[in-house]
Amino acid sequence: MTMAQMPVRPTEPVPPVPAASRRGRAARRRRREDLAGYVFLSPWLLGLLGITAIPMVLSLYLSFTDYSPLISVTESQWVGLENYRRMFTADPSYWHAVRVTVTFAVVAVPLKLAAALGVAMLLNRAMRGIALFRGMFYLPSLLGGSVAVAIVWRSMFSGDGAFNAFLAIFGIEGEAWINDPTWALPTLMLLAIWQFGAPMVIFLAGLKQVPSELYEAASVDGAGSWRRFFHITLPMLSPVIFFNLVLETIHGFQGFTSAFVLSNGTGGPVDSTLMYTLHLYNAGFVELNMGYASAMAWVFLVVVGLITVVLFNTGRFWVHYSDSEER
Amino acid sequence: MDSSARSVTHDQPTPAFRSTRRRLLAAALALPLVLGGAAACGGDDKGGGGGSNDKVELSIFWWGADARAELTDKALALYTQKHPNVTFKKTWQANQGYYDKLATLTAGGNAPDIFQIDDNAISEYAQRGVTLDLTPYSSNGKLDVSKFSKGLKEYGEVDGKLVGIAMGENTQGLVYDKTLLDKYKLPVPTTGMSWPDFIKWAANVSKTAKVPGTQDPSAIYQALWVYLRQNGKDLYKGNQIAFDESDITKWFQMWKDAGAQGATPTPDVIHEGNDSSVSKQLVVTGKADTSWVWTNQMPELKKNTKNDLGLMAYPGDPSAQWARASLYFSVFKGSPKKDAAVDVVNFLTNDPEAGKILGTDRGLPPNLDVRKQVEATVTDPNMKQTIEVQTELATKFGPTSPTVPPKGHSKVKSELIRIAEEVTYGKATPEQGAKDFVTAAKTAIGQS
Repeated sequence: MTMAQMPVRPTEPVPPVPAASRRGRAARRRRREDLAGYVFLSPWLLGLLGITAIPMVLSLYLSFTDYSPLISVTESQWVGLENYRRMFTADPSYWHAVRVTVTFAVVAVPLKLAAALGVAMLLNRAMRGIALFRGMFYLPSLLGGSVAVAIVWRSMFSGDGAFNAFLAIFGIEGEAWINDPTWALPTLMLLAIWQFGAPMVIFLAGLKQVPSELYEAASVDGAGSWRRFFHITLPMLSPVIFFNLVLETIHGFQGFTSAFVLSNGTGGPVDSTLMYTLHLYNAGFVELNMGYASAMAWVFLVVVGLITVVLFNTGRFWVHYSDSEER
Repeated sequence: MDSSARSVTHDQPTPAFRSTRRRLLAAALALPLVLGGAAACGGDDKGGGGGSNDKVELSIFWWGADARAELTDKALALYTQKHPNVTFKKTWQANQGYYDKLATLTAGGNAPDIFQIDDNAISEYAQRGVTLDLTPYSSNGKLDVSKFSKGLKEYGEVDGKLVGIAMGENTQGLVYDKTLLDKYKLPVPTTGMSWPDFIKWAANVSKTAKVPGTQDPSAIYQALWVYLRQNGKDLYKGNQIAFDESDITKWFQMWKDAGAQGATPTPDVIHEGNDSSVSKQLVVTGKADTSWVWTNQMPELKKNTKNDLGLMAYPGDPSAQWARASLYFSVFKGSPKKDAAVDVVNFLTNDPEAGKILGTDRGLPPNLDVRKQVEATVTDPNMKQTIEVQTELATKFGPTSPTVPPKGHSKVKSELIRIAEEVTYGKATPEQGAKDFVTAAKTAIGQS
């Protein structure tokens, strides 16, 4: 949640006397307090404008130009929809990157959520030292987007890495994983799934909100653990699942760091890990077609925005907000 | 649907997007600075000439390993000793990410006064007007390129302007693990060996030593380049590609067959080699007996292995190779201290003492007098070997050097890796690969 949602204006006690002069003074004071509110907000506002809003608008403009970081904006030529035309019709790598990214999101996000929910349920019990286990399962996510963990992954899952050495103990000859175009993307997905800690913690909090009377009542009525899971846990948890799904989907589409590190920035082997953001980055910073990269970024923004809207609309059919809860 | 859930729609995409946007747009934000900077230095150079006593601080930026930083530091300290009014703000980093940083600095109008660059990017930077045209300095003698070896000055020219001063000379070099060959009493490969003979030799190494004889060079642009030149073609002619599909088909087919004969490693190991920095080339990691590099990289390879390494030309006729500027120093066109910057570049390339300090780390010294002196005094046996082999090769170079690759060359390189690997992984036939590569290369350099 951002600060925008915090009340800007502090609620002030309204003076009881409605005299005209007093009213003017009160209004002045309120204006002053409004101003103070904005002054306190200003670091964030300036950040929003300077780092997000203005550059975003600028990039929309740049997406219609042939801008390169090596020249100034005034020197760049207006090319109309050329960047967009090229993206959709003349850049085979673009569509390839779209395919890779969609595959990644469609496979990795549900698996990650399933892993997170499963582990959250295991950790949602009274047991000695449970806090330690919770901490341990959350740990990989703390390392989350870090470059270090991707580098470890890279060395573990190369042809002669630790993982294949482990398999060799059982006489299994492993694949070349990140050096094999068939396995590189699944290896990348595995890294994403392994970092399930953040949704796991949210699931855990959600599970604690499910009233235990429901389970007790169901047990008395003879419901087994599967029925309890499908008829109590899942519906009661659906708002949390929904929240995690939206967040992780957006996150999944944005995967960059691990793909960049695992492939040395190339998206290889043979473009098998060429995530959309990686292709975009290479267009902008390696090939220096910043105008083209801006166009890609805008299409990305719109598409991910649309996907989120679609998710929200489907949410209507399966997200269950308990009425008895006083939230 | 309650309001807290709704607010998520609006809020989540934005912060999530911010990091991508931010990276892209930090550059855009800096634009007013570019404009301001350009305006500030629109006129002729005003300040800080080499002879003046005004205090000047020059920023200088290069990529390389620790050793290079140490040598460059020393050489620059020597300049400061001779010109106490000139000091340096030095920045250096690894090769990976260097150009990202340089482009970002340039976008912000903060390009360093002096920066290292190579033939992958120099055309782009020159044509975009980032580099200073040094022709006037070379004609008025403030920048001396008269002692440069043949073709080296020309290899720094783009569209007739001198935009980069070679800081070193190299040429294609094939490095082999001599210790391994000796252990199995195998013959060493020799310069001038034909491509089929070399592949036969490599297949024999694989069979005897159980280590693949050679890295597959089908994805390595400078190997393809030599091969094309040996066949009367070239990689580029001006702003056009100078090869056709059938050349590339033959090239891919040759290495596909070599793989079938067991001369090269498995595709994943080939990819690993293509994906690795100099210090992790297969000849060093022991996953192949030979690697395809540039001659000046040999000492760096040697640092990472105990085995003895040998160095030779790429297979085929060595006259197709040429004296390449391994890298250049260029001066930023928008620098307010151009004269001072040019004087430093002149010092680094021509001063005998500076030459002695810098050695062959960036390649053979471009100034032949300096080179002779370095040859006589160098103590590192690997540098010595590099110099000997390259000097020997230089006598065999043909009369024509290629011109500097055009804008888009680095994209051509990455497309070659992608497509050549598609062929080695068996995802495309040599014919398909050749067709794709010709199309991709044309697109990359903007040839219609």
